[in-house]
Amino acid sequence: MTKAKQAQNQRSSKGQMRVIEAVMASLIVVSAVAFLFAFAATPSSQPQETSELEKIGHNVLHDIDEQGLLARFVYRSEWANLTSAMVVSLPTNVYFNLTVYDVNGNPISHPLMQYGNQQIFDSSKAVASVSYIVPGYQTNYSPRILVLKLVRG
Amino acid sequence: MRMAREKKGQFIIIAALLLSIMIISISTVIYGTVTYYRQERWEEYVTIVDSIKTASCNLLQVGLANYTQTLNQSVLRGYFNLWMRDVRKAYPGFGVDLSYNLASGIRSAYGVSLNYSLGLARTWNQRVSFSASDATVNIDIASVGLKGYNFSSHVLLKMNIRDAVWYSKESKRYVLIYISVDKEGPEAMINLQKSNFGVKLSGATQAFSMKRYYSRTYGYFIYEIQISSIDALPSSVEVTLQDTRGIKTVSYTTNIQQSSE
Repeated sequence: MTKAKQAQNQRSSKGQMRVIEAVMASLIVVSAVAFLFAFAATPSSQPQETSELEKIGHNVLHDIDEQGLLARFVYRSEWANLTSAMVVSLPTNVYFNLTVYDVNGNPISHPLMQYGNQQIFDSSKAVASVSYIVPGYQTNYSPRILVLKLVRG
Repeated sequence: MRMAREKKGQFIIIAALLLSIMIISISTVIYGTVTYYRQERWEEYVTIVDSIKTASCNLLQVGLANYTQTLNQSVLRGYFNLWMRDVRKAYPGFGVDLSYNLASGIRSAYGVSLNYSLGLARTWNQRVSFSASDATVNIDIASVGLKGYNFSSHVLLKMNIRDAVWYSKESKRYVLIYISVDKEGPEAMINLQKSNFGVKLSGATQAFSMKRYYSRTYGYFIYEIQISSIDALPSSVEVTLQDTRGIKTVSYTTNIQQSSE
């Protein structure tokens, strides 16, 4: 074998080695990225949806309270008016169930304050729950806890 | 030559490995940072704090309404003590702890100085009368390490007898009282009804009619109270107001103008 042919063979095997190295390096980088995608569990939309509904529910109760109506509805047992105020204030595709408790957890609101079928609440995956306290009305201290459950239809 | 080639090969693979580690590390940190807010469910705690804050302000109204109707100076302190206990019951498992500081001594609000005692103050039987309550509330939520979130809240009812005039024009003799009412903010109260007011002239209760309108003369929202068939100039005018929140105040004046126009 001549010297020129030996040098050519060496260059050839060197080039092949570079290709193999490059392929191996690419494989390492690709597998690292694949590993990231496999383990980086993106948050599902469910908690975001619940969080959004909680925000809506709290804002609606807060707005009715700011107008001085919430305490009146709750302490005078004006449940129909409270339900109507909620229906008007919430977006049309949001359904709710509202229960009023005393501070010991005993339900006060006997009639069902609900907008939307029970089936929607049962089948929905994202049910948001908001607690809101009203401390009293006029001169009397007697806290009431409003528990509002919301789903999107 | 062989050694040199092997070293070069190892270098590329090691570089690729290092690059992979860097990608994974940086991505993990970035992912953790951007999703931290969502994982912690801040919304729940923000709504709890907001709910307690609003309710504490409402408690000041309830306490002030009770005080102005019963003159029980310690009512607000009693209500806040109950409130501290009941908030823990309302949010079990969150480690909510509430403390309060009721205003004491002279404090200025909306350009007037009020002398508070146990968070309550009133200045009645003057031309401009006030009823007010003021407290600072501190909230701790142990479950999220929230400590020392505090806010001040105050409630005010202010009534001002702008003018009281006795008109004596031939056979028509009547008294007109011009009143403005403000609440905290300061914000003019424009939703009051006749049933919210009571009027006494020279110490005697009177029947009256009422109009409400924006007055260009005063540049304010005015309640105009008219008492008919008053034959003589009254010695005093006393107006009692109980607003929609149940808060009461009493304005009084002996400065009554006389007009025959």
